[in-house]
Amino acid sequence: MTPAPTSSAEPDPSESWAELTLSPLQYRRKARRYRLRTARPALGFLAPYLTIWCTFLAFPVAWGIWLSFNTGGILGPREFVGLDNWTRGWRDTELREAVRNTSVYMVIAITVVFGLAIFLASLLNKYRRGGTFFKLALYFPLLTPPILAAMMWFFMVHFDFGILNLVLRQMGQESINYLGENPNALLTIVAVEVWRGLGFWVLFFLAGIQAVPEELLSAAKIDGAKAFRRFRKITVPTLRPLLLFALVVAIIFNAQLFDSVQVLTDGGPALGTATVVWFIFKRMFAFQDTGLAFATSVGLLIVILLATLGSFWALGKRQALEA
Amino acid sequence: MTAGHAEVDAIDSEFEFELDHIAVEQAARRRRITAGVRRFGAYATLTLFVAIAVGPAIYLISPAFRDSVSLFAYPPEWVPSDPTLENYRFLFRNTEYVRWGINTLIYASGVTVVSLVTNTLAAYAFDRLRFPGRRVLFFVILATLMIPVAAVLAPTYLTVRTIGGWPLIGNYVDLDTFGGLILPAAVSPLGVFMMRQFIETLPDGLYEAAKLDGASDWRIFRKIVLPLLKPALVVLGIFVFMITWSSYLWPLVVATGDDHRVLTVGIQSLNGQFVTNWGVIGAASLLTIVPVTIVFLFFQRWFVQASMAGALKQ
Repeated sequence: MTPAPTSSAEPDPSESWAELTLSPLQYRRKARRYRLRTARPALGFLAPYLTIWCTFLAFPVAWGIWLSFNTGGILGPREFVGLDNWTRGWRDTELREAVRNTSVYMVIAITVVFGLAIFLASLLNKYRRGGTFFKLALYFPLLTPPILAAMMWFFMVHFDFGILNLVLRQMGQESINYLGENPNALLTIVAVEVWRGLGFWVLFFLAGIQAVPEELLSAAKIDGAKAFRRFRKITVPTLRPLLLFALVVAIIFNAQLFDSVQVLTDGGPALGTATVVWFIFKRMFAFQDTGLAFATSVGLLIVILLATLGSFWALGKRQALEA
Repeated sequence: MTAGHAEVDAIDSEFEFELDHIAVEQAARRRRITAGVRRFGAYATLTLFVAIAVGPAIYLISPAFRDSVSLFAYPPEWVPSDPTLENYRFLFRNTEYVRWGINTLIYASGVTVVSLVTNTLAAYAFDRLRFPGRRVLFFVILATLMIPVAAVLAPTYLTVRTIGGWPLIGNYVDLDTFGGLILPAAVSPLGVFMMRQFIETLPDGLYEAAKLDGASDWRIFRKIVLPLLKPALVVLGIFVFMITWSSYLWPLVVATGDDHRVLTVGIQSLNGQFVTNWGVIGAASLLTIVPVTIVFLFFQRWFVQASMAGALKQ
């Protein structure tokens, strides 16, 4: 790109001769001044975003890291306590429970939602008639905010008036306690989140499957490869980079599980649905143990960044191998 | 796919010419029947999942027009025998539902406008302008893309509270103000990357010509780049709006009074204060979902594109 023409584009000859005799130091200084001058318009374009970004993202991250080594800060006076919050967090049984629940939730929810989404996407890919209708209908739950999705599910799974129990009772079966007993509560949350996310992942994987070259598939078919083998040997390898990317996005989303937990169970029963973000929220705003809240926040940040970097590294290595 | 079947059938029958016609026809018929059964199975499965996807929302119509007591009736009442608007009357008279709705609109549109303006400007600078530290800065901002809201919730809350204590600006950016609600929600750099990719695709020629004519960067941006970015802006705008209006955690923490409370937080506040009025919750949920669904049906193509862009363009 050519540098911007300035009003003094044509310097008079004597000046340009003088410039040729600049010492290296003078030259560097001039060059820097020139770069800064041409950078001035950029500053105007960047300033609005950078202001918000520095104030409400970069600064809070730094401050949060600093505060994770302190106590107090919201009500009481701040005091530096070193690694105390971190060691307390490490030993906190409630936090351990929250980490365990979040991990179990992530593994089940992501496996189920990816499995169902890939299955439905391959159906939609094969049977195109009515595709638009099915895609729109499956996408619908995404329109409901997580809070409202959880509210709507009360009418499905409530012990007394949830229609699932009403139907069970009409069939002469015992009611199931979907939210008040322990493995059930977390599984209900999984169901709600899968319900809400499924449509998105169906469309996501459908886009990926449709990118699989048709010639490869029909060539394999003529060679006598059965449908499952074609899927495993052609579709899956082509989808793999997409799958890895999807995994990163899904981990980042699901590690933050909070909304439906707060509506449906508020962490209960007996911490059975306590999640990491729920824990942060409670420590920060209910128990005022801010040090622990900050340490947990930073921990969550580190885990997510590691997961992201790890998968990008894996993706990059793979691409390097294929090249 | 039927074309593929036909091809294979043709090839098969070429090689099976030794068999008599009856056997060939039988095999073909058998294959057609299995294909038919499979197709039926596929559509049955899809229909089942569609029913699960929209079922809860459709069932919501029933409790939204019933009084809460009849919810507990046994045997269950699927269609309200005595439909009532009592829940809606309660919603409009005894809660701040309308206020929450207006707040949500202000909040979501505010975040959308702030994001679009700041992200597009920054994206233009990163793609078209040269300045020292451009790559480093872009990389640093890129690195913050993966930071989840929840992980910086607490320090961002403290930041807003601190700014609220300052003179002048504290009147506009504080807890329980729209400034404090909107600005921190508009920090995601996602839009910077999306818009940068769109700007990258614009032909250089346009830009060079304007530059030669002596147009300033601002003029080029406003007169040439911006009009070409309209479709991208719509897609990004829908995406940001959808994410924002359904967000819960940030507004819950920062806007605690009814004056700035948004719908998601407000409806959740109806849940279990004393005795939960389930009919009202049903009515509020239904009333909130219906307009969004109508808008969605009108602009469905944009919606789908927007949510995909949000995921894929990272």
